[in-house]
Amino acid sequence: MTATQSLLAVLLTPLLSAALIAFFFRRMGKVASAISVLAAACIFVFSLFAIREARNETVAFSWNWLHFGDYSVSIGFLFDGVAATMLTMVGLVGFLIHVFSLGYMANDQGRARFFGGLSIFMFSMLGIVLADNLIMIFIFWELVGFSSYMLIGHYLDTDEAAAASKKAFIVNRVGDLGFLIGIVYAYWHFGTTNLSEMHGIVAANSQWVSGSIAALLMCGFIGKSAQFPLHVWLPDAMAGPTPVSALIHAATMVAAGVYFLIRIDFLFPVEVLQLIAWLGTSVAVYAGFCAYGQNDIKKILAYSTLSQLGYMSAAFGLGYPGIALFHLITHAFFKALLFLAAGSVIHGCHHEQDIFKMGGLLKKMPITAITFLIGTLALCGVYGFAGFYSKDAILIAAGLGNTPVFVLLTLGAFLTAGYMGRLFWVAFLGQPKSDSASHAHESPLNILVPLIVLAVLSLGGGWIGFWPEQLGAIIKDNLDHLHHMEGYAGMHKTVLVAGSTAWIVGLVLSLLFYGAGAKEDRLEQKAAPIYGFLKARLWFDEIYGYYVAKIQQRLAIFLSFIDIFVIKGIFVRGSAGLVGLVGICSRSLHDGNIHSYVYWFLAGLLALWAAASGIL
Amino acid sequence: MTVGLNAFILVAALLFAIGLFGVILRKNTLVIYMSLELMLNAVNLALVAFSRYNGTMDGNLFVFFIITVAAAEVALGLAIIVALFRLRQTVMVDQLTSLSR
Amino acid sequence: MRTTNSRTMIDLLFYIFAAITLISALLMVVSPNAVNAAMCMIVAFVSTAALFVLLEAYFLAILQVLVYAGAVMVLFLFIIMLLDVDKDTSHILKDKLTLGASIMGFALLIILICAAFAGDSSLPEPTLLPVSENPVGDGIGIPFTSSAKSFGYSLFTKYMLPFQVTGFLLLAAMIGVIVVSKKHEESSN
Repeated sequence: MTATQSLLAVLLTPLLSAALIAFFFRRMGKVASAISVLAAACIFVFSLFAIREARNETVAFSWNWLHFGDYSVSIGFLFDGVAATMLTMVGLVGFLIHVFSLGYMANDQGRARFFGGLSIFMFSMLGIVLADNLIMIFIFWELVGFSSYMLIGHYLDTDEAAAASKKAFIVNRVGDLGFLIGIVYAYWHFGTTNLSEMHGIVAANSQWVSGSIAALLMCGFIGKSAQFPLHVWLPDAMAGPTPVSALIHAATMVAAGVYFLIRIDFLFPVEVLQLIAWLGTSVAVYAGFCAYGQNDIKKILAYSTLSQLGYMSAAFGLGYPGIALFHLITHAFFKALLFLAAGSVIHGCHHEQDIFKMGGLLKKMPITAITFLIGTLALCGVYGFAGFYSKDAILIAAGLGNTPVFVLLTLGAFLTAGYMGRLFWVAFLGQPKSDSASHAHESPLNILVPLIVLAVLSLGGGWIGFWPEQLGAIIKDNLDHLHHMEGYAGMHKTVLVAGSTAWIVGLVLSLLFYGAGAKEDRLEQKAAPIYGFLKARLWFDEIYGYYVAKIQQRLAIFLSFIDIFVIKGIFVRGSAGLVGLVGICSRSLHDGNIHSYVYWFLAGLLALWAAASGIL
Repeated sequence: MTVGLNAFILVAALLFAIGLFGVILRKNTLVIYMSLELMLNAVNLALVAFSRYNGTMDGNLFVFFIITVAAAEVALGLAIIVALFRLRQTVMVDQLTSLSR
Repeated sequence: MRTTNSRTMIDLLFYIFAAITLISALLMVVSPNAVNAAMCMIVAFVSTAALFVLLEAYFLAILQVLVYAGAVMVLFLFIIMLLDVDKDTSHILKDKLTLGASIMGFALLIILICAAFAGDSSLPEPTLLPVSENPVGDGIGIPFTSSAKSFGYSLFTKYMLPFQVTGFLLLAAMIGVIVVSKKHEESSN
């Protein structure tokens, strides 16, 4: 089948799966899970077909969907190297997580709903990956937001899941407002929303680049990829099941923001890029500090995701979209691995999530522990693992371009090693500290196999020389460019030394300070104010809560007052009342009295006479 | 004769006014109907006077038709009044007010 | 014919018959008894016929007496006696407001009419044309004659259509009367 047909199959298979589950198999968990996993496998296979058929050229396909006068919305594919790379990653990681969910959600009552949600999510995500115009991206963007809402709120009976899903959706919507305004502005400015056409316009004449369009479109990225100031939803989103956290909030959806930026990188002038770099760096450091105040294993990993997203946007802001993509892909591998391993731990410890209640898991769940360790080392950027190559490239780019950013990012690397070390030493070493930990057992095979596959990818995923030639062209380009920059050799050595120092010192210090298998957080014990400050996460949630409750609610009440009294009361009811009044007046003419009829008749006759003779 | 057109028209107008006031002020349906016939009669008189002083026959012929139609209308109207009386046992207009609240 | 005497005679006749017409009409309108009202109506119709004679419309005068006074009013009397209505005592004198309004209105009307037809700024009078002998005319209007022959001529040439339609009208009226006054045997309608 041709590339276009394969791409269509890639896009429509998860939609079909979701539709089948929604209409027919909502009560049958086993069948629904089988359908969904099969769909995920088909997606991966079809995407491989598509890559093979595309033969390293860009495939573009477009179909006019809606016409509004001389403006039309089209659905189309722009399948170039970037899309191919992202598609492979999404397909592979998605399939592994589907398999993991078979084991993890085996006892859940709402299994069918969960797999339906996963299928809809795959459909929406693939839509974003393959889309060729801004409107289509926006449609699938919103669909992804909806899938996230549905999946975060999977545990229907808990309040915090419902609150978290609402928070995620609302915060995303705030960003999407800027996104939508940006799309309208872009259409007005360029006359088209098609990515290739816009690229052509900008390439021909760089005067067309507009900072405000870039800044507005960036708002969508800020919401979706949890940058400042809309980062507050991501930690709360951990209320969803672990596979959801792995798939959506680590590997793919939050990366969709970065992917979107890479797609439209031709639109960005230097000032906006600087802004993005600083936003990314600040959230990288901020999240690194916040992770020390968390005890829940998933929340620590969530802050780690925030931090790494900051690295990706810093890379993009420094002018290297390919390196951002590289870090996106390697991060997908090791973060998905970390989340899935955490899921295995939670599953094995019977849903215990506090790290200070676990312990000694290395002996009880060896495979999980070893894969978790591999993921941790990849995240810290240990030499040879996947994370090293991408993080290294980012640090070099920062060092060559912007020294304050470089210093902060290195600090971030140190912090990362610190909190990940804290997690690993406390949770996996020492003695079990609670009943559920002491009864922990290794997870079944359908949980372990994805972990092993992802561990292999976390090990070797960074060896870009081994990647197939159709994938990662832009990455190789950017790395080459970096290599040929002035001062590369010196900076390379500096970064190697600084990076290695960071992770070694971080891991060792955390072991010494927190102790293997500790019962409580030593920082909390010894320096409670600092711990409290870190736990407060700069009071973002409190500030937002205050703003919504006091300021926005008052405005909303005032507007609703206007709506009820002025619009509904005066205009709608008033006009209806006026009509009613006319009716009442005319009804008073019909009183059944012949004489009054005669009087009115005469009156009408006189009026007619006066009008005819010109008096009236 | 020296009586001019104006005199005839005056008489016709007064007859019309009397008929109008009969329609407005009486409560018996039959008397109202008779006052209506009086108004028609006044119009007849005016038409004949105009016809005579104009020197044409058309007015007279119009009166001919008016008389015919009035006769037919009276027959039908009285039939309706009889039917109404059969239903309501009254012909007083102030008691035939079922259309009001 | 005689000049001054006949002219004066005709004028006198006009005044007499006009007075009779108006007075009987007034009596008809104010009398509480319906039968009395009908009788006064008959008098009014007959004196109107007399006025028609004064206007040399002899055919119409006879028609008026035969149809109006003879058929229509008899029908009225018939129905009045059939329905056996009570005295209508609650008329104009009861309601003060209606009384006042009606008197004022009546007065206004009379003033208007008199201002139009009598006094200095009254409407101009046309002269009396002689009666022609030949009923068949040329041009637009049929010349005024006092014979019934012109009626026949007009009805069958110029006014043919209204004549036929009137025939149908009478048929419709007849059928209508029969239908309306039929007693309905079924209980619910």
